[in-house]
Amino acid sequence: MSEPRLVIPAMEAIRLWQGVAVPNSAARIGLAELEGLIAALEKLRGSMVFEDEPSSFEAALRDCMEQRP
Amino acid sequence: MNLTSLSMTEAADAVARGETTSAALLEACLARIGAHDGQVNTVIRLDADAARLSAHGVDRARTDGHALPPLAGVPMMHKDMYYREGRVSTCGSHIRRNFVPTKTATVLKRLDAAGAVDMGTLNMAEFAQNPTGHNRHFGDCHNPFGLEYCTGGSSSGSGAGVAARFFFAALGSDTGGSIRLPASLCGVTGLKATQTRVPRTGVMPLSFSADNVGPLVRTARDAARFLTITAGQCPGDPTSAPEPVPDYEAALTGHVKGLRIAVVEDWFFDGIDAEVARAFDAAMDVLRALGATVTRVAVPEMAAVATYTALVSRSEGSAIHANWMRECPADYAMHLSARIYGGYAMPATLYLEALSRRGPLLRAFCERALGAYDLVATPTLRTRVPTLAETDIDANPENWTRFMAVSANTRPFNYLGLPTISIPCGADSGGLPIGLQLAGRPFAEARVLNAADAFQQATDWHRREPAL
Repeated sequence: MSEPRLVIPAMEAIRLWQGVAVPNSAARIGLAELEGLIAALEKLRGSMVFEDEPSSFEAALRDCMEQRP
Repeated sequence: MNLTSLSMTEAADAVARGETTSAALLEACLARIGAHDGQVNTVIRLDADAARLSAHGVDRARTDGHALPPLAGVPMMHKDMYYREGRVSTCGSHIRRNFVPTKTATVLKRLDAAGAVDMGTLNMAEFAQNPTGHNRHFGDCHNPFGLEYCTGGSSSGSGAGVAARFFFAALGSDTGGSIRLPASLCGVTGLKATQTRVPRTGVMPLSFSADNVGPLVRTARDAARFLTITAGQCPGDPTSAPEPVPDYEAALTGHVKGLRIAVVEDWFFDGIDAEVARAFDAAMDVLRALGATVTRVAVPEMAAVATYTALVSRSEGSAIHANWMRECPADYAMHLSARIYGGYAMPATLYLEALSRRGPLLRAFCERALGAYDLVATPTLRTRVPTLAETDIDANPENWTRFMAVSANTRPFNYLGLPTISIPCGADSGGLPIGLQLAGRPFAEARVLNAADAFQQATDWHRREPAL
């Protein structure tokens, strides 16, 4: 199976931004697997928007607690 | 009385009543480790002499008539990423093979104060970053129910050791399932509490947004007592929650009549093995027979939850390791450096999107799955327990997909931050355990534990011991 097109540009971007070289052959397979994640993110486009109001995850945890009687 | 077959609470209560001694419990554990750890490979450092001193101290206190704290005299070992001042904490790695922390983890201090006997440190996935239990530096941990099978990770030694009856409880950590997976694969009970419920001071970080501290034990009652002792705000961890800590064990009723359980159809059953599906359905029948209702619900947001989960934990996990990945990448196992490397390809804008959607997605999940229901139930692992060979990336990088799929059902609850337990609910045709996962609303640990306890009172999967 041929390597996805994203692998070489992603390796170059990682080296440029992080100064990290590809450590082994498994890392290239791991990068190739990101195609699935990218496809999943593409499907989410348009369905997810940023909230306009300030919020935090900790606040959401408290908001979602069971209501005490 | 077979001492090593006792649960944590049974052992503690037997010491308190004078039916056995801490020294007897400890020697039984040490003998079992000596006989079988050569096969299972759970131990990184055994502190037998220090443990004997602690055990004799507990026994002397009892004979002197002192009241004993709730875990007095119970032997435990912990994943080797809980810092104890002055003692090496390897984090399962070569890189930290000589790392000596200058502080002690809050949870260890709380267990010490509760009288627990610390026997030493346990094998784990390198830097807590794999779901299988492979470790190149200390050797793979082996499943006591089948030595060629995975223990689950990353708290591999914790799950395998509790299952093998080497000790009565162990700390694990859970960022994507690292407590619940070894609990499921090794047939024990593992609890990940609400994000922020248990302080993380003095614990090796993996992903600050998703890391959790918690126990691997034999029963839900054990987990309840353990959580009561370890939960609660700590000044050293500004992210720890100020919510009051109830007595979770006292809240166990053994009854689930009227409990409303939701089974989320999306995501959690994709590609499920038939044997796992049958065990899950049988577990639902048990809960129905106890008076619960079980209803299938749709949560279309699960696709977003699963996608963002991967972004957050991998981005944060890679950021922490950037310096070592530049300076000494060969010191990591192949599977770990490969996993870390992929995190650097994820754009910061998408990471921030994933964080910004976390609260709204939690609200959506709670409305759809927990609005009209009390708990969510899923299988902990969708497939039968994999072998070490078929998930070994270092031996064959093509095993990547199988390796990453192990944590598919556990990771979403880290992103959502919900309290989640895994308990044994069956065995496959090869005798390997199958786990049931129960999740509740934020800070509803009492409800989660109560359902798990009721299930365990009606079944005996949690009592099954491996034939080592």
